[in-house]
Amino acid sequence: MADAGARHWSAYREFWRLNFLTLMEYKVNFFIWLAFTIVYHGVALGAIWIMMSRFPSMNGWHWQQVFFLYALYMLGHTLNNTFFFTIGEVPDLVREGRFDRLLVRPLDPLFQVLSQPGQIWPDELVIALIVFILAQGAVHLQWSSSTVVLLVLATLGGAYIDFAIQLIIATLSFWVVRLDALRWVVMSLENDFTRYPLSIYNRAVRIMLAYVFPFAFMNYFPATVLLHKSAEVGYTFNPQLGWLTPVVGAVWFAAAYSFWRLGLNKYQGTGS
Amino acid sequence: MNLAPYAEFAKRAFSREATYRAEVFTRVGSVLLRVFLLSTLWTALYRNNGAKQGISLESMITYATLALLLDLIYGVNGAYVIRQKIREGSIAIDFMRPISVPLYVFADTVGQTGFALVQIVPALVLSFPLLGLMHAHVGGPSGGIAALGFVASVALGFLLNFLIDLIMATATFWTMEIFGIQIMVQFISSLLSGSLVPLYFFPNGLQKIAFALPFAGLYNAPLSIYIGKWQGRDIALGLGEQALWLALIWFAAMAFWRRGERRVVVQGG
Repeated sequence: MADAGARHWSAYREFWRLNFLTLMEYKVNFFIWLAFTIVYHGVALGAIWIMMSRFPSMNGWHWQQVFFLYALYMLGHTLNNTFFFTIGEVPDLVREGRFDRLLVRPLDPLFQVLSQPGQIWPDELVIALIVFILAQGAVHLQWSSSTVVLLVLATLGGAYIDFAIQLIIATLSFWVVRLDALRWVVMSLENDFTRYPLSIYNRAVRIMLAYVFPFAFMNYFPATVLLHKSAEVGYTFNPQLGWLTPVVGAVWFAAAYSFWRLGLNKYQGTGS
Repeated sequence: MNLAPYAEFAKRAFSREATYRAEVFTRVGSVLLRVFLLSTLWTALYRNNGAKQGISLESMITYATLALLLDLIYGVNGAYVIRQKIREGSIAIDFMRPISVPLYVFADTVGQTGFALVQIVPALVLSFPLLGLMHAHVGGPSGGIAALGFVASVALGFLLNFLIDLIMATATFWTMEIFGIQIMVQFISSLLSGSLVPLYFFPNGLQKIAFALPFAGLYNAPLSIYIGKWQGRDIALGLGEQALWLALIWFAAMAFWRRGERRVVVQGG
């Protein structure tokens, strides 16, 4: 067991070393992707700014707070992107038959999916930190030890929520060939609907974002704790709910991982 | 020039897409989910702030729903196959064939778009009861001329979209790393075309810039005609502007393509 752990650890270190060497080799590529990341989040923030300039009332949240909401989302999301990004390649691996290669090697298949050397750098995480520093200044966040603990838990839990949903979609590819449309809609649910406070939506959307695809735990619920939004117009929930993000992350990840094992067994069982 | 082979290419692309039946369900389902989500978003924003820029909530929901249906058409990126062909080198074989590669790719795109159009029908029909649940609905076009203008404008938008995709794919002749640039342009376009937020809601300065760019011809032009934001002379002017951009971009795309082609021929791939 300890042996398997050591084997995985050394493979993982090698993975990051290769990523770093790829970065040094393909510098232009790195800058293109860096520009892409900046444009991507710039467009999202631009859309929020445009909307807030025309529709300034978001159920009592002003633009600084909506900006903070996005920054908090970015932390968990980019942490997920940095460490678990390649999970999105599973449908391609399965379709093209390359997934079988992972099954004959003496390392865990999910681990192998997550450690395919490529063009992965923590640049997006760095951008997220910069945006967060600006956003916490804009809302005059009150720092205390509990603020730090909550932020760390929300970021880690948020990354696991994000990863769990991606893992479930990836697992579906063992049954369904083309998943682009589904991936696209979940991505849009995540990107477009975490931008505004959950309390502006109707009940069906709130339930979906809080308890089915729990993206609201990535930013909205922790933000209500951090910004002391204890009473939201037309939406009542326990004001300490934001502390539950790591629990939600753990539960959803456990469920997603069980589903993944199930899919893996089915895949190996039929030998397809 | 014999166009019969190209008609056949289009038909084949249509049949090829039609084999992915399961994807039709997920795609239509995803459009419906987005229709639902966006209409709740706009309803909430209007309830909190009232109507803006003379666009009623009903017009806004119509706008958002049609924009999602247009996504199905514009989402077909037929030119993307060029990137693969250049990467694998099979483009050299295509050059030896007695066909025009851009025209072949266009025919393929037409076929794929034909199949996308087929999916629009169930998506639209199913969105009626869905919006009905929220006491909202998709309004009809603001008149007969608006209906015709809308169809013409979507046709121009389709061509414009194809040429933009073609230009991006052509860049593969110089660099393999177009994927990042391509999605970058897509994201900028998603904002500046009015597909997410109508350009009328943009702050003044930015609005002027967005109206002047070709991206506005993709969503803003057809949808402005449909919801009656443009009428009479404005429709003619809007269509004229789309056509002008189309001519310019067509010219640029063809010139760019010829340079790329020459690169392969001269260097021998």
